[in-house]
Amino acid sequence: MIKTKLDKMLNNIDESLFSFAEYDDSAAEKTGYSNYSYWQSTWQAFLKNRIAAFLLILMLLLVTFTIVQPYLPNQKSPIKIYTDEKTGIQLRNHPPDGEFWFGTNSIGQDLWSRIWSGTRTSLFIGVMVGVVEAFIGIFVGALWGYVRKLDRIITEIYNVFDNIPTTIVLVLLTYILRPSLSTLIFAMCATGWLKMARLIRNQIIIIRDREYNLASRCLGTPTGRIIIRNLLPYLVSIIMLKMALAIPEAIGSEVFLTYIGLGLPLDTPSLGNLINEGRVIMMVPSLRYQLIFPAAVLSVITISFYVMGNVFSDAADPKNHV
Amino acid sequence: MKKLLSILIILATFLTSCSGGDKNINKVQEYSTLYSGEVTTLNYLITSSENEFAAAANLVDGLVEHDNYGVVKPSLATDWSVSSDGLVWTFNLRKGVKWVTYEGKEYAEVEAQDFVDAMKYVLDSKNNSSTANIAYSVLKNAEKFYKGEITDFTQVGIKAKDKYVLEYTLEKPTPYFLSMLTYVCFFPVNGKFLAEVGDKFGTDNTNLLYSGAYILTTFEPQNTRIFEANPKYWDKDNVHIKKLTYTFNKEASTLSPELFLRGEITDALIPTASIDEWMKDPNKKDKVRPASTSFYTFFYAFNFNPKFDAQYEPDNWKAAVNNLSFRKSLFHALDRKAAMMTSEPYEPERRLSNTITPKNFVDFEGTDYVKLGELAKISGNDTFSPEKALEYKAKALEELSGKVKFPVQIPMPYNTGSSDWTNRAQVVEQQMEKLLGTDYINIIPLPYPATGFLNATRRAGNYAMMECNWGPDYADPETYTDPFTPDSNYNWPHLATGYAESNGKNKYENMVNAAKSELLDLKKRYTLFANAEAFLINEAFVIPYAIGGGGFIASYLDPFTAPYSPFGVSGYKFKGQIILNKPLNTEEYKKGFAEWEKKRSEALKAAEKK
Amino acid sequence: MLKYSLKRLGQSVITLFIVITIVFLLMRLMPEEGYFGQGYEKLDPIQRETILKNLGLRDPIYVQLGRFYRDLIRGNLGVSIVYRPRVPVAEILKAKIPYSLYFGLGAITLSLLAGISLGILMARSKGKFWDRIGTGYVVFINAVPAAVYYLFLQLYVTNILKLPILFKENNPVSWILPLVSMSLGSTASYAMWMRRYMVDELNKDYILLARAKGLSNKTIMVRHVFRNAFVPMAQYLPMSILLVIAGSIYIESLYSIPGMGGLLVDAIQRQDNPLVQALVLIYSSLSIAGLFIGDILMAIFDPRIKLENHGGAR
Repeated sequence: MIKTKLDKMLNNIDESLFSFAEYDDSAAEKTGYSNYSYWQSTWQAFLKNRIAAFLLILMLLLVTFTIVQPYLPNQKSPIKIYTDEKTGIQLRNHPPDGEFWFGTNSIGQDLWSRIWSGTRTSLFIGVMVGVVEAFIGIFVGALWGYVRKLDRIITEIYNVFDNIPTTIVLVLLTYILRPSLSTLIFAMCATGWLKMARLIRNQIIIIRDREYNLASRCLGTPTGRIIIRNLLPYLVSIIMLKMALAIPEAIGSEVFLTYIGLGLPLDTPSLGNLINEGRVIMMVPSLRYQLIFPAAVLSVITISFYVMGNVFSDAADPKNHV
Repeated sequence: MKKLLSILIILATFLTSCSGGDKNINKVQEYSTLYSGEVTTLNYLITSSENEFAAAANLVDGLVEHDNYGVVKPSLATDWSVSSDGLVWTFNLRKGVKWVTYEGKEYAEVEAQDFVDAMKYVLDSKNNSSTANIAYSVLKNAEKFYKGEITDFTQVGIKAKDKYVLEYTLEKPTPYFLSMLTYVCFFPVNGKFLAEVGDKFGTDNTNLLYSGAYILTTFEPQNTRIFEANPKYWDKDNVHIKKLTYTFNKEASTLSPELFLRGEITDALIPTASIDEWMKDPNKKDKVRPASTSFYTFFYAFNFNPKFDAQYEPDNWKAAVNNLSFRKSLFHALDRKAAMMTSEPYEPERRLSNTITPKNFVDFEGTDYVKLGELAKISGNDTFSPEKALEYKAKALEELSGKVKFPVQIPMPYNTGSSDWTNRAQVVEQQMEKLLGTDYINIIPLPYPATGFLNATRRAGNYAMMECNWGPDYADPETYTDPFTPDSNYNWPHLATGYAESNGKNKYENMVNAAKSELLDLKKRYTLFANAEAFLINEAFVIPYAIGGGGFIASYLDPFTAPYSPFGVSGYKFKGQIILNKPLNTEEYKKGFAEWEKKRSEALKAAEKK
Repeated sequence: MLKYSLKRLGQSVITLFIVITIVFLLMRLMPEEGYFGQGYEKLDPIQRETILKNLGLRDPIYVQLGRFYRDLIRGNLGVSIVYRPRVPVAEILKAKIPYSLYFGLGAITLSLLAGISLGILMARSKGKFWDRIGTGYVVFINAVPAAVYYLFLQLYVTNILKLPILFKENNPVSWILPLVSMSLGSTASYAMWMRRYMVDELNKDYILLARAKGLSNKTIMVRHVFRNAFVPMAQYLPMSILLVIAGSIYIESLYSIPGMGGLLVDAIQRQDNPLVQALVLIYSSLSIAGLFIGDILMAIFDPRIKLENHGGAR
């Protein structure tokens, strides 16, 4: 009796009202949802610092400007020597005016375009050196810090390289390869990656034996994966800081190399060359602008990267994200 | 410091009150300066660098010296004679000249044997003398001794006849031998002292004996050196400046002008970059004058043995450079004044030279060498002429069409260590390409580092056109033909085609050889050399460009009292020089210079007649 | 500790040996022209050969190397060949080291004093006037190239204060400006480091506890903050102290101080092999020793640090 009733009820069910619920991955994840994204948070934390945000915009503008400057109307060539139409004599040390916005140098080249061309060269050096140093430095530093078998040998190589004077390497390189932009970048990278490698190594030693890494190792994760997945993400803030600082450092060491006579050929405008040319006439009030303009550009770049690097490294630290 | 100053003031007032004399002469005859080029050794027998010549010239005397007009005067020799075949030179030495130590104590007398001992030291190859070649190029058997082919030094052409008589025997007659004696490798040394100090000779001021106008009382490399007048000097009445103080500063060129303005140093070279400021400021302008020029000659050479990189088409260049019209088009296209503006923005003409041998180098009876023979016709003319350049360009295009690919690639190396040169390379490239057109030539400035510069470029034949320089080795026009001989490594003009004569050699080489073999008739010799040089220039193997030195200087020194000589070390001497009350300005200098040139020509004529 | 030290010493000797050999070989790659300086043009080929032979540069490289090792073991640093021909290298260095040493030590002392005081001042007035001034100074020093502000100081300060432009040994006034200029850079970095450390440390819990215990501010500073602050310092300070003998190239060039500044660069550019080798040997020994002393000091200051590292990966 009851059975028939039940059967009846069951038969009367309108099957169209029901459907199988599909398993929904995204819905399932919703329970554990947080709108936290590492890079986005880093970015937000970075932009919260007004000065850093301002400097970032400034640097972006500067970089854009140095790139597009030669294509703007009324721009002069940085290497062309301008002569007086009538006499054919070079326009030497022409003071700034409507024609030559920053004046000319001692052989009649336009300083305005030289400064931007120099900034372009120096920024290029800085970025190239920064990137290459970071790449080699991280690679060597990670192996050095993590793989114990390599520790002794890389430490030994480091000690040797670190004690060979950079000047010898530079003199020999310019002698073999001739002075040029690529020689300089090569030389600076050849000697500069050591510091980065050492920094990474020291950091890795600190975190390599933490429990989660031990666990990974016990589970048989390959070394490469541990380094890339477990270790390097921890070092992002330090790496970014170091890279940001490497750019002004590279520009600064270009100035020094020019001072000791191992810089770029003088006909390639660079901040180092411009500053060194300007130093000689520092005591000459009417020509001092030849030093002040490039020095100011250099200072702005240095400060910007310095501040941005520090703020970014703070921002990249997840502890500061909440 | 204050004490010293007050003493000086008292001294100065004292001197003003009691001495009348020349108003322009400064009361305090002490010289001080900043330098950046270090004296690395005081061993004058081995060095060949200018800084060290400058020190040696004031510390040790040679047999003869030059006065302020360039006339040869007796120094340690009182008189001399030469045999009729021109081979044997005999010198009578001054008696009573003393060697003194750095403390001013007498050590010994200067004797003929001292010259022999010095020569023995120079020619001993173990001593690494870099001036030995100067000596063994003239003295009999000297080269053999240097190479170790003979070991008996008595066979070498130098002898002490007695205590005061010295005799040189030469390999062949050498009309300019006297001028060579002012060179450091002919200076004397006390043999006993040399043996005593051995390898330490000249390494510092205590390991040296002095016979010159000054004694080096302090010698601290990279710090200071102080010269004080030698109280036992044989000619001390002519030493007016009593003390020379040199302070080392690596940035001397940057700091000197400022120190000069603050009155701390006696002279300062004004860097090219800041000369404008000095010229614009009336106060500073009154203190600055042109600096004297040197006898280094600068020229642009065309390479007849191109070995540069294949990408610059050396064979194409070779075909082009062997065409006279092509060479001449470049020759007349180079605006030398524009190029000179890079190192001499004021008065660039002063440095330009229309000949390889600079004027005032040698003369025949008061007639300057550049006014002799064929050279007289070109020494007064500027080579730059846009019209002629274009005319020859048209001719070259016609003559070379089909044979040479235009534009001709012209690699032009320069030394990145020199900022003036770097600037000049850019100026020359742009100026010549603008005039001749980039469809005709393509000048490619190539930067090379200072390290190993010449070996990588000129000596390797790794250039098409290049700025070269050469300094004289002795007072004879022959010295300026050395870069162009077949065994030299400048531009190999003997490989130029179309100039071969019946003996298989090129015409220029034959002309030079003819001049070289004329040893006794000086006028004929000079004229032959002048003709050869004129040929070299007229055929545009080189473009004569400039003479060295120059620039602007602010200095209290009277430039016209300085000993003058185109060769040797006399020009570095402070003997005879005086310090003025006020630095000369440009007008005063020019006036003085014209006067000096007149007097010099008279003095040379007078000397010739004697 | 002793075993560890001996091991480090052994390693250092090997490192030094490799460094000096590489430098020796690198210097032999330089062009021969460089040994003659300006005079090269005027020498004839026979002379050049003779001179190179006499300098021993014509011998096979292993003979040269062997001779160099032998002299080195006997404590003979060799004789300069270009920089000051025939003068023993040791003599050249003996005259120069004291100047760089005095200036270097003076500058380090000065910048430690000034830097730490400034750092403390900045930390205490965090975000206020002195902090801003200090930050401005630090930023300025880091941004403007030293080559520029050194020259600026030299030319203008001497003019305004009527000081002598150049250094004179017997005139103490002339010591001031180079010393001050030299310490500006490191003052900035010490100040920055000190400020950062102080700010971090003062926020830590143990300071709060110490305060709660009623310790005076002074005791907290001296006992806790300073001691901890010195740990990282202890690692780097010995090296920088030892390496002051290298001198400052800018300052010594500008003020005519006859010290070691730029000597290495000079010697390399003029290819004075014995001098370069001696300098590299000295600098390398000092930097290795500095690192070692730094490690030891660090272990002494901070007992948590173990020098012999037994942990680690595969």
